[in-house]
Amino acid sequence: MSQNAIITLTDVNKTYPGIVPLHVLKGINLEISRGELVSIMGASGSGKSTLLNILGILDNYDSGDYVLNGTLIKNLSENRAAELRNRLIGFVFQSFNLISYKNAIENVALPLFYQGVSRKKRNMLAMEQLDRMGLADRAHHLPGELSGGQKQRVAIARSLITKPSIILADEPTGALDSQTSKEVMQVFRDLNSDAGMTIIIVTHDPGVGAKTNRIIRISDGLILPDENV
Amino acid sequence: MKTTFFDIENWKEIGATLARNKTRTFLTAFGIFWGTAMLAMMLGGAKGMENMLRRNFEGFATNTAIIFPNRTTMSHQGFNKGTSWELTVTDQRNIRAGIPEIEVMTGMSSIQSTIGKGTLSTSATVTGIDSEYSKIFEPIVLEGRFINESDDLLNKKICVIGKNIAGSLFPHSSPIGEYIEVNSVYFKIVGVAYQTSEISINSKIDDSVVAPIGVFRKAFNSGENLGGIMFTAKKGISPTELKPRIMRILTSNHKMLHPDDDNAMFFMDVSEAFQMIDNLFMGISLLALFVGAGTLIAGIIGVGNIMWVIVKERTQEIGIRRAIGAKPSDIITQVLSEGMALTAVAGIAGITFATVVLNLVEVITTDEKGTPEFMLSFDGAVEIVVVFMILGVAAGFIPAIKAMKIKPIEAMNSK
Repeated sequence: MSQNAIITLTDVNKTYPGIVPLHVLKGINLEISRGELVSIMGASGSGKSTLLNILGILDNYDSGDYVLNGTLIKNLSENRAAELRNRLIGFVFQSFNLISYKNAIENVALPLFYQGVSRKKRNMLAMEQLDRMGLADRAHHLPGELSGGQKQRVAIARSLITKPSIILADEPTGALDSQTSKEVMQVFRDLNSDAGMTIIIVTHDPGVGAKTNRIIRISDGLILPDENV
Repeated sequence: MKTTFFDIENWKEIGATLARNKTRTFLTAFGIFWGTAMLAMMLGGAKGMENMLRRNFEGFATNTAIIFPNRTTMSHQGFNKGTSWELTVTDQRNIRAGIPEIEVMTGMSSIQSTIGKGTLSTSATVTGIDSEYSKIFEPIVLEGRFINESDDLLNKKICVIGKNIAGSLFPHSSPIGEYIEVNSVYFKIVGVAYQTSEISINSKIDDSVVAPIGVFRKAFNSGENLGGIMFTAKKGISPTELKPRIMRILTSNHKMLHPDDDNAMFFMDVSEAFQMIDNLFMGISLLALFVGAGTLIAGIIGVGNIMWVIVKERTQEIGIRRAIGAKPSDIITQVLSEGMALTAVAGIAGITFATVVLNLVEVITTDEKGTPEFMLSFDGAVEIVVVFMILGVAAGFIPAIKAMKIKPIEAMNSK
């Protein structure tokens, strides 16, 4: 394990129980360093989504170890998992997942609401993040009044507000046209190069993968040897 | 642990979720509103009705009994059945002396007579009583005074007249100190009285002339005889319990009375009638509580139902919240606050509505006898509020548990 590793997975296995148990992850070994911009690519059914859920502390695994930013993520209580998600991970989803009846600034501030940060302070911090995304003038618009690209930038602002260790983006360009996709990818690239943010993008789009610095390919529950772009 | 309960964001969200489906929120709120209004109105209404009925007995001691002589129904010691007899002053004295459980007692006699004052006259019931009468059936003195203890002993020809008599004989001046003529006997008026209750013995005090019974017996030649006896038993004793002992005392003084001849004495225990009224109102109150609570429960189930639907509709949203760091307790707090907010607003509206209605009823039913007090007490209203707040939270509980079980993964899955 290198000193600089922010994510280390060691022989992680996951089986979905059922009449026919489904062995989805068959011993994943993976290391991602601080400040990397990586993509995880794989066909559907490859175990890509399951890996994402485990990385995002949204799902448990059966055996192995997952260390995130020096913390072993294993057998956590719901409360501890929620706390770690809140502090360590910034999520960006394909369908933006903004809350429709909250305006942009309230959506961005929401993770801080669950940290118990005062309204005044979290709105100030949210405004900073929106400004960073070039959306300061859209702060009081509802998601319905924003374009797809703007929505995704609001979602990125939300993912950044807790100053997380990693950004986990699940098909972040899946719902966007190609021009907007390029813009959003540029946002990720800038965040990575300027702020040194560790960003993991799960995608099946080779164009998106090509914009990252490293592609991790997963197939049939196993990580394929690395290829550097 | 920090709680999100007091954060203004929490309450803004509650407003926003409830406002998203206005019709459904309104209908649910209406269920709660109607439930609390019904409960409050029925409880208040039952109390008001009771007060309305009770004011008909105002001033009347509830553990009172009245004794009148009847004709005998059994032959005894050579007297045929059907013999008539009279209660006497001696009987009154013996009963008083022999039964310490009696609290107060008065003899009663009355005649119908024409009352004259100068050229004016009216007819009235003239009643002789002891001063203790006022402790059994408290008259309201309008002017002057009522018969008191010194009148029992002194044979002064004084009287108290009812306010209707005063109105006909003294239309323009105070009757106090004036004299009226009853069957050629002159009485000095010392007071004017009336009653608010609907109870009357012979006639209401408003239409009576009341004199000390000693004076009455002399003035109208009734000798030792009394028309009847009225008494109250001491606290905790029912007048009926004393009936056999009264009968025994009477048989020793009246040879024609057979010891087992219950029908020779008319004995009315008023406390039994009051007990019946008490039971009736207990029943009405229980019914009000039952129906009101039933309506309220129906409303609360409505709240539980809407919370359930809201939680189901918001599965993805709750998933997002969980993904970005909401703890299960945050989600529970949110859902429970919503149920509570809904019941609180609708419930307080219900209480307010009921108060307005009860106030209206109170205004309508207020007459010269007073106000029957239909209104809920402040404590009662607070109790209802507290009860439905608790029920409102309880109603949100099952949906809240369901919401808590929503995995953050749902946010990823529902694309």
